[in-house]
Amino acid sequence: MVTRFEPIAGKTAEIIEALMASEDMPISEDLQFKLRLCIEEVVENIVSYAYDGGNGWVEVGTQLVGDSLVITLKDEGIPFNPLEKSDPDITLSAEERQIGGLGIFLCKQMMDKLEYERIDGCNLFKMTKHLKQ
Amino acid sequence: MKITISQIGAKQLVTLEGRLDTTNALQFQEDIKPLMEGETPDIEIDCTNMEYTSSQGLRIFLMLQKSVNARKGKMVMKNMKPQVKEVFDITGFSNIICII
Repeated sequence: MVTRFEPIAGKTAEIIEALMASEDMPISEDLQFKLRLCIEEVVENIVSYAYDGGNGWVEVGTQLVGDSLVITLKDEGIPFNPLEKSDPDITLSAEERQIGGLGIFLCKQMMDKLEYERIDGCNLFKMTKHLKQ
Repeated sequence: MKITISQIGAKQLVTLEGRLDTTNALQFQEDIKPLMEGETPDIEIDCTNMEYTSSQGLRIFLMLQKSVNARKGKMVMKNMKPQVKEVFDITGFSNIICII
């Protein structure tokens, strides 16, 4: 299932719900919680930053590959590899911690595999989660 | 996200209900302004009915904790659902916010 959204400004919630409604989604509430969180973090990044506040499109999809769910997000925005971002230091005190930078870190912790590619002028981001725990 | 703040003596009792996500984080930030004022705050946040938080929510809890620390106060979050607690755990927020 691939769904295209254009324009995407203000559509964060709609894009998340479209992915969560996919028939590929697991029924486990715990897995759904984690998947929703990761989807929200990535969609929010794309809607806020991919087109620098301007408007563009995003294609989102899900696919079952063996025992894994693969979530794909593609946009034509500014080249951005979220995996290059350094992880926050989670041992710092409240005073030292920076506000922000947690979204991709949460995805890294909760998903089994994250992949980024820049193909034909597009950002392609894939998240894989094994459904059999 | 529904938030209720009541003042019991010197203590601010807060109850959170629902989901804290990208659609309502800014509103939540407005709603907790009464917690960002006053000397030596004593804040207790009941999370029994808090269903979800994204990093947008964590950002606001960190801001609140920083504000409480700067005012030499204390804050506890209690009765957190395991899934929500896990988000605080893996981001290290359980080390900087008192969760009971």
